[in-house]
Amino acid sequence: MSRSRFDIRAQPGFGFITLFTFFALYLPIAALVVYSFNGAESLSQWGGFSSRWFVAAWQNSAVQDAAIRSLVIALWAASLATVAALMAALATTRTAPYRGQTLKYALINQPLMVPEIVTAVALLIVFSRIKVWTGYSGLGYLVLAHTAFCIPFAYLPIRARLESMDLTLERAAADLYATRWKTFRHVTLPLLRPAVIAGFMLAFVISLDDVVITEFVKSGGQDTLPTYMLGQLRRETTPEINAIATVFLALSTVLVVIFFFINRKKQ
Amino acid sequence: MTDTRTTAAHGGAIGLHGIKKWFGTFQAVDDVTLDIRPNEFFTLLGPSGCGKTTLLRMIAGFELPTEGQILLDGANISSLLPNQRPVNTVFQNYALFPHLSVSENIAFGLKMLGSPKAEIGTVVNDMLRLVHLEGRGDNPVTQLSGGQQQRVALARALAPRPKVLLLDEPLSALDLKLRKSMQMELKRLQLETGITFVFVTHDQEEALTMSDRIAVMSAGTVRQVGSPWDIYDRPAERFVADFIGETNFLEADVVSVSGNLARVRLSSGTEISASFPADAAPTGSVTVVVRPEHARAGAPTSMSALRGVVHDIVYLGTDTHLHVRLGGGTTFTVRQQNARSGHCGFSKGDTVGIDFSDGVAQILRD
Amino acid sequence: MNGAEQAAAEARKQDIRSRWLLSMPALLIIFVAAVGPLFVMLLYSFMVKGDYGDVKPGEFSLEGWTSVFFQRDIFDDTLGLADAHLSIIWRSIQLSFFTTVLTVILGFPTAYFIATRPPHTREIWVFLVTIPFWTNLLIRTFAMQQVIRNEGLLNNALMWLGVIKSPLQIMYTDTANLLGMTYVYLPLMVLPLYASIEKLDFRLVEAGYDLYATRFQVLRRIVVPLVRPGIVAGSILVFIPSLGAYVIPRVLGGGKNMMLGNLIEMQFGSGRNWPLGAAMSITLMVLVMVALIFYVRNASRGGAGHV
Repeated sequence: MSRSRFDIRAQPGFGFITLFTFFALYLPIAALVVYSFNGAESLSQWGGFSSRWFVAAWQNSAVQDAAIRSLVIALWAASLATVAALMAALATTRTAPYRGQTLKYALINQPLMVPEIVTAVALLIVFSRIKVWTGYSGLGYLVLAHTAFCIPFAYLPIRARLESMDLTLERAAADLYATRWKTFRHVTLPLLRPAVIAGFMLAFVISLDDVVITEFVKSGGQDTLPTYMLGQLRRETTPEINAIATVFLALSTVLVVIFFFINRKKQ
Repeated sequence: MTDTRTTAAHGGAIGLHGIKKWFGTFQAVDDVTLDIRPNEFFTLLGPSGCGKTTLLRMIAGFELPTEGQILLDGANISSLLPNQRPVNTVFQNYALFPHLSVSENIAFGLKMLGSPKAEIGTVVNDMLRLVHLEGRGDNPVTQLSGGQQQRVALARALAPRPKVLLLDEPLSALDLKLRKSMQMELKRLQLETGITFVFVTHDQEEALTMSDRIAVMSAGTVRQVGSPWDIYDRPAERFVADFIGETNFLEADVVSVSGNLARVRLSSGTEISASFPADAAPTGSVTVVVRPEHARAGAPTSMSALRGVVHDIVYLGTDTHLHVRLGGGTTFTVRQQNARSGHCGFSKGDTVGIDFSDGVAQILRD
Repeated sequence: MNGAEQAAAEARKQDIRSRWLLSMPALLIIFVAAVGPLFVMLLYSFMVKGDYGDVKPGEFSLEGWTSVFFQRDIFDDTLGLADAHLSIIWRSIQLSFFTTVLTVILGFPTAYFIATRPPHTREIWVFLVTIPFWTNLLIRTFAMQQVIRNEGLLNNALMWLGVIKSPLQIMYTDTANLLGMTYVYLPLMVLPLYASIEKLDFRLVEAGYDLYATRFQVLRRIVVPLVRPGIVAGSILVFIPSLGAYVIPRVLGGGKNMMLGNLIEMQFGSGRNWPLGAAMSITLMVLVMVALIFYVRNASRGGAGHV
């Protein structure tokens, strides 16, 4: 017999399309990475293997500036968002339905439902007015904006973990004379730790990656790495852009891999 | 490859020749040769893991035999795809399409075959009537009870008028009363439609009730094929005798053979007459089987075939089982009908003699 | 109410109060930096545009809203349709629709294939789909640019193969936007589709084959109807971001092939018409809501369908 069974799952051509799709998904990224090692001046020709663009990017003060700003904003935003999300998750889970719960839920998840450009423009309007009133034009606006859209991303994993958590552990703690705060500190929080870390990581990546809202909210000279790159793309680009993108890519991949293994270990 | 999809009305004959099936290193079917006759209700009976379902799936086309051939009315269908074989299956979990209504489920096969709309409508109505589900055509299948779903599955498989209908333990999910009425239903359907039914089950009572012939399987091989009477009364070997109904096994030595009866000496010393399979004259040490209902218990006499002590009495409503411990330590079960209410006539600790008629005892093939 | 019930009610009230307190920070931040500004924007759409951008405080008008759809003829001052705006809005809807279609064409077979691999291999395939998903939008757009520009990978390959003599101009066309959006949003279609197909009971597929269905009929009559929720979810996840796309058309479409997102930006840049920009943003939000309602309505229309 040529085949051992009739494969009820197989569909003709699907394997081919899948391979094509993966090829199409990875080819541009692969090309981008390869070109970041291009020794030549422009992206048009290949000029040998070189790491000069990584060096150039590293030494580029505008890049350094933008990178640091990205990290600072991301750290602040992710931290604030995770704390707020943790509190909100504790507030909205494991309770009988009450008035205003759906509204709360919708509000917390608003950034996921409204297109980014709309939020960006609305923030531009409000913040520019506030800038006129207060004269302040520091990083505060960016941190605030980032925190807002990071909250749902930190919220979701924490909420999921809370919903599936065993209530009896906390009841046991209460039975053993722990106050609510102590129960939270010594029982709930440690159990929540992986979800909180996951939420933080998620929020951090989302903040680092943001382009649209940052572009509209920033004041002059307040580039983050993505907005710097956006600006550069307007002109004739050198492989320096590729180098920055490759580093960014490596960072995201590492984070995804870590995430993947954490989830795997849970099972 | 010819497309043998048809809507033929008569039952087909299935031939399984030298079928072997390996799943990796595990052999599920070991050299099975069977001939299933047209229009018969044929049952594959055996414990789980004996290969009966694998055999069924090979007839349907979802598994391909590693060796051997599958014939339908003489034509080799071994390499035909499932959707090319005029054979339909009633699946164990019914596999009804949840997004379709009852009528749409039943119509599915005909629709795939490209039958005209008018014809489909007529057949669907006929089927609904056949399985007593008139008026439920538009119901979504998810709203039906287990028994109703089962009937839809049946109707769906019968609608394209296959030559052979395969049933994979279709009654196992039903409760007892429903199962019994469905057994009668299935039997009636098979007689009415004339389609060959190949039925898989592990429930021997079910097999005995419904089948024209039964193939008893164990560990991938067919142990015996025959009518329910053949299987029950003339078990060919130890496994069949043990699997079907209750049996008593006795060791004996052959003394003499004359005609179609053999004289054997039991370990108790008594001699009895036993039948034996026509093709093998028994010699030496043999195993003899006696069905509990063929034995009678009474006051022990010198003529008693066996003697023992009653050590357990089990009351079963219609019958009473007496578990008698024989001299050698083995237990012999006697089943007597409770013809009249009241005491069965024996108490624990009674010494009894056990008798049975000539030829009722069977010598097993080695 | 007796004492115990009163105490319970009190405790419950206290619980609700503390829950509101706990969620205050999150709600406050989101209100100030996400939801609240939307209302301000609504207000702005009814104001009069300032000479150098922003608005004239205290002055109101419907000009912002009417200019979304209508414009005054320069010469005879009659009100006509704002062709430029409307064509951009229509283009955005069209491109989003075709992007969704393309992602289904590529994504469905992919999701199906992955879902029908043996369990251990499946995880790896899913992981491979997830990596591009987490890559920065800008980087993926940039990567696509590298492929489709005149000296890019695609043209170089085609010329090297001798298929074409001079490079195809793909950049700065609608096709570039379409390719870019399909590329970026494809994982968003694959993942929910995969989740849906994975849950499919393939014994139903077996039953289909038993009843004479061909491979295509099984796909069309059994698989697709039963994974419809996944298709709908994926479509929402692709269509909505596509409608509001900004970065992709900016990088790949250039100035001539604007989508609604770019048109909105223009009003806050060189266009200096903030009320118009605000009105357009709200229009975009309404379009998104309509699409959501349409999809959700479609998704719940399940149950007994037709063969």
